[in-house]
Amino acid sequence: MGKITIEPLTRLEGHGKVTIKLDDSGKPTDVKLHITALRGFEQFVIGRPAEEVPRIVPRICGICQTAHHLASVKAVDAAWGAQIPSAAEKQRELMHIGNMIHSHALHFYYLAAPDFVLGPDADPAIRNVIGVIDAAPEVAKKAIALRRVGQSMVEATGGKAIHPVTAIPGGLSKSLSEEKRDELLAEIDTMIQYGQDGLDLMKSLNEKYLDTINTLGVIDTWYLGLVKDGKHNFYGDTLRFVSPDGSEKIDFKPADYLDYLAEHVVEHNYVKYPYNKKVGYPEGLYRVGPLAMINACDSMPTPLAEEARKEFAETFGRPANQSIAYNQARLIELLSACERAKELLEDPEIVSTDVKAEVEPKAGNGVGVVYAPRGTLFHNYETDDNGIVTKANMIVATTHNVPTMEKAIQQAAEVLFKDN
Amino acid sequence: MADKVRLGLIQLCGCSGCHISLLDLHEQLLDVLPHLDIVYAPIIADAKEIPECDVFLIEGGVRNEHDEHLVHEIREKSKVVIAWGSCAVYGGIPGLGNLYSSEQLKETVYGTVTTDNIGELPSDEIVPPLTDSVMPVPSIVDVEYVIPGCAPKPALNAAAIVALLEGREPELPKKIVCDECPRTKENVIPEKFKRTFEGKPDPDKCLFEQGYTCAGMGTRAGCGALCPSAGVPCRGCYGKTDEVLDQGSSLANTYAAAGDESLKIADKSALFNRFTLPSALISKKQK
Repeated sequence: MGKITIEPLTRLEGHGKVTIKLDDSGKPTDVKLHITALRGFEQFVIGRPAEEVPRIVPRICGICQTAHHLASVKAVDAAWGAQIPSAAEKQRELMHIGNMIHSHALHFYYLAAPDFVLGPDADPAIRNVIGVIDAAPEVAKKAIALRRVGQSMVEATGGKAIHPVTAIPGGLSKSLSEEKRDELLAEIDTMIQYGQDGLDLMKSLNEKYLDTINTLGVIDTWYLGLVKDGKHNFYGDTLRFVSPDGSEKIDFKPADYLDYLAEHVVEHNYVKYPYNKKVGYPEGLYRVGPLAMINACDSMPTPLAEEARKEFAETFGRPANQSIAYNQARLIELLSACERAKELLEDPEIVSTDVKAEVEPKAGNGVGVVYAPRGTLFHNYETDDNGIVTKANMIVATTHNVPTMEKAIQQAAEVLFKDN
Repeated sequence: MADKVRLGLIQLCGCSGCHISLLDLHEQLLDVLPHLDIVYAPIIADAKEIPECDVFLIEGGVRNEHDEHLVHEIREKSKVVIAWGSCAVYGGIPGLGNLYSSEQLKETVYGTVTTDNIGELPSDEIVPPLTDSVMPVPSIVDVEYVIPGCAPKPALNAAAIVALLEGREPELPKKIVCDECPRTKENVIPEKFKRTFEGKPDPDKCLFEQGYTCAGMGTRAGCGALCPSAGVPCRGCYGKTDEVLDQGSSLANTYAAAGDESLKIADKSALFNRFTLPSALISKKQK
């Protein structure tokens, strides 16, 4: 019996390793994904004034910090019963969409594309974003531009591109200036075009890798996404579970999440294993992120992305269960985010200065949910009479996916080791 | 320095934000990257072993025994080690964990309202055991330079890289955030303190003088006063200046001028040392 350890797991933006146990015939018998870091945010936000927490939790992730900033402030708004002005909602959503554009461009072009553009067998020393710059400079330039515009949207609305600060209970501490709005509008049509170019690149790669996509990491799981009136939605309204065969849909509101989600502690992982509570553990394990979002929604809310979704469903089925199809699903979302950004930037309220309502701290319990770039994100806080946090629960995007990533690696290992 | 610097990058107890800040050079990356030979960087590349490096940027502090081991290995293999970003330099936001014991931390995380098997914990035999507290990188090994900030501005990263390429020492801003802040000051001490969501601050006047709990006067410049410019008080993410021993004490000194009112501010330990608790004079909860 042998054992294979893959460490560090790269391009994970965090800390992980994989261990694979093999039996005497070389068949993988036990595959474990270990997330090896723990920081303890649920403990150390306790005792902090609740309005400070949206300034603390962005450090959970430097890539999807905006999602944490916004899910957190939504939770505080909910706990204190704050009603925020509609202009503040729209400007917060633009901040969120900017983060989505940056992160999806990062994930596809900087993390995933080297394996496709340079090929999975290319020397690891060049199989990175610098290799992409050398091999396909036009692709790299588009990736850089998408990230720059996404980060500019976050900075213009959030005050800082990394770890934004403007979302406070009751709204925003500043509004988007007309000058910044005009700068962003001037580039948005080009970004929509780059979004389409990304999908075209992905489709050309599909021709080369479709067999791999349909073979490696193919698993049946539940899916959890975020919709509004059944349509795909980044900013959050209704959560939706879809069963592995697509026949069953369960819709619920963020405030009711305790009835639908639970988490299981396992000994080999700092991350807990979330599951669909109505189904139970481990049958109720589910996936989040672009693939789950595309599987969960009835349609995309923007026209070009909806066309791309239909094509995706024809290629991969519905629900699609191929883990590598996450990449194409991500690019559909990138295009949709660029389209949605244009709608928001053209809305006159996006530069309204009416962005802050008066709020009073009070004892309460609030849940805030958005779709972070890696998947649905939950923040839940309880506050005391002075608005100090007394209890916290967070289920962050990648956490939902860890158990099913483990299943996908197990499946891939079985396929890869079959012939050896 | 050689023509091409052999660079290593790693994230320990951090959030990847410093790495993202490097990528936020955007189009300038095309000028910087050709001078770098990135030989180790788990976030963007696939090398598994840490090789000999000219310069190593460490993002994040130390939170578990594996982090500690890596810091020693990196030190042995690198000519220049840089503690990169406030987590590496001071402990950063995860350093707020030092207000609690690591046992308490785990009990809370594995005992939340959604947990179905409370009492079970990940095994220390399988996952790397937590250290007693979060430790900044310079408290573990000697480092040549520090680059503070959460995250350091892209320009600060670029300036450091260019300095190293040219064989110079990277330089840090010496001033405080107030020196960069566009708000006007009248040198008055506030009579009362407010929380960030209270009222609507005058957009042109000093936030501290309006009674908001700004940390700009105790914080190293370099960010361009982004937070006060966006209508919220500074939280001190660049840490202390070279002139003082401890950021929290230096802030407390200023706030003391407001007398008893300053005692009413909620949660002073995590406000004045929001990003620097593990490197403060009292760096963790005492048993």
